[in-house]
Amino acid sequence: MLGRVLVRNGLILTIMCVMCWMAPPVAGAAPDDEKLRELEREVAELRAAVEELRALGLAEDRLTEIERRLEILAEEMEDLKVGEAAVKVSRDQTVSGLGPAASKVYQQDQGVSVGGYGEALLEFFDDSRDDGSESGAVDRFDFLRAVVYFGYKFSDRWIFNSEIEFEHASTSEGGSASVEFAYLDYLYRDALNLRTGLVLVPMGWLNELHEPTVYLGAVRPRTENRIIPTTWRENGIGAYGAFGGFDYRTYVVNGLDASGFSAKGLRSGRQKGAKAKAEDFAWIGRLDYTGLPGLTAGLAGYFGNSGQDLEDMDGESIPVGTSILDLHVEYRYRGLELRGLWARAELDDVARLNEALGYEGNQSVGETLEGGYLQVGFDVLAGRGQSALTPYLRWEQINTQEQVPDGWSSNPANDEQLLTLGLAYQPIEQLIFKAEYQNIDNEAGTGVDQFNLSMGYIF
Amino acid sequence: MVCLVIGTAGAMVLITVEEALELAFPGATTERQTLFLSDEQRNRAEKESGAEVSSALATRYVAHGEDSSLLGWAYLDTHRVRTLPETLMVVVDADGAVRRVEVVTFREPLEYMPRKGWYGQYEGQQLDDDLALKRDIRPVTGATLTARATTEAVRRVLAIHAVVAEEGMP
Repeated sequence: MLGRVLVRNGLILTIMCVMCWMAPPVAGAAPDDEKLRELEREVAELRAAVEELRALGLAEDRLTEIERRLEILAEEMEDLKVGEAAVKVSRDQTVSGLGPAASKVYQQDQGVSVGGYGEALLEFFDDSRDDGSESGAVDRFDFLRAVVYFGYKFSDRWIFNSEIEFEHASTSEGGSASVEFAYLDYLYRDALNLRTGLVLVPMGWLNELHEPTVYLGAVRPRTENRIIPTTWRENGIGAYGAFGGFDYRTYVVNGLDASGFSAKGLRSGRQKGAKAKAEDFAWIGRLDYTGLPGLTAGLAGYFGNSGQDLEDMDGESIPVGTSILDLHVEYRYRGLELRGLWARAELDDVARLNEALGYEGNQSVGETLEGGYLQVGFDVLAGRGQSALTPYLRWEQINTQEQVPDGWSSNPANDEQLLTLGLAYQPIEQLIFKAEYQNIDNEAGTGVDQFNLSMGYIF
Repeated sequence: MVCLVIGTAGAMVLITVEEALELAFPGATTERQTLFLSDEQRNRAEKESGAEVSSALATRYVAHGEDSSLLGWAYLDTHRVRTLPETLMVVVDADGAVRRVEVVTFREPLEYMPRKGWYGQYEGQQLDDDLALKRDIRPVTGATLTARATTEAVRRVLAIHAVVAEEGMP
């Protein structure tokens, strides 16, 4: 009898002790996974203990009360797991009597988001050009980019997000370290959010979505390199949101800098947020229909001057009006992935620009640049876990000198057709290995075919 | 006793649980239930869903209409997306099929969150092989990890629901 009483009292004491330990609305800030699991184990043990007590004949009303409290504790733990949807706490409140800054350490792991991606590319170039002449191209193995994302949530409404990129592995070997984007978001409602800072220009497919697992191809399509110069980022301000089945983005950014334009395209006109000339601004708008799962179709436009106070021989500034338009579509069904893009840029004042930049003959900047591609891929492992094995084919046509001003000529080498045949393998969703062959032709017959191998990761 | 404040910073609460329940079961009476899964139930749910069932504790709401008829259940599932968690409400109708999926909190940047229409793909889904990415569920370019996490969560909930329905509430 004494034994039973001791056991009973011991059990009750244990239950009460544990409950007291658990009872405050859980100290600290973030629900810690391990701690939660521990609490769950405790609750399970307590329930077993209650059953034991019931077997020992403890008064039913006391047991019911203990069970009720256990239930409450269990719900409390659930609230922690669910987070703020269940537990609304003013953001001005501090932890443990500390001031907001001192309390930060309790909250930091909740506010910071870290991610990253990277890719390495091995390119084998054909020794000869299409016309049989020696290509002289040197095979290259490059750690193209290693990137980290840092985001911080100041509150439900104010969010900072950034991407820090290291390209080509080392600045001592021609690589670079860049802030690829860094912006503040003010989240107002689905249909209207505001953004300012160094933003990604919302054109084409890859400029905003360029993580290696998101696109097929070891090498980015040329259209999204020379006409839409990925990764294209400029300082600006704008709004974005979704309504109905549509997504939109509209930004005003500092314009491109025409002094970097060349016969090969607009790529070197990017200012990348670095002491950008802000004499000319540009407006960008993008509208996508995303109302049907699997389908994204839309258009984007960029309009503005790129002169940035560049002057001609007479000291007159050259505006270099620049407009770029793209149409893009993607359709996914089961293992099938279809993607298409068409982009066209039109530039004003090109003859004056050419002269100001000292170009001659066929070095003219294109008055019209046009390019596009169609791509099809099929994941033969679709629906069988995380692995994917996707053969793909991409046909691309691009001409960065589609039209040049009267009195100037275009270089037929800039009129290119690329056929890419490849295979992408993803053992898990966050890793990708690609192998592809690119048959690159141009109207001058100087195309150099290449074989590419790449690996990429995101986390 | 010193009472400390829970100071979680900036989870993106998109909708409260109460609001989500009202959307799922307008005007219904809902009652919260806490499920304590046994190890065996967890193992079975993991096997049937192919998704990890990391907790023995599951929260659901059971909804009844005015005439006390059973309308369905709403499960809450919290899981990691990329580096940060989200909480989904997976609503299961009286026949055991998914009625809707609602994002309750989302801590990752909103770029990783699919549009509302995308979640409509889960409506009517049952726990079978077609409830998978690149089968009945089309992935979202740029939000693959969220799509994966959502599909796993829905499979997990359906499996837990089936196990509990079969063996009675633990």
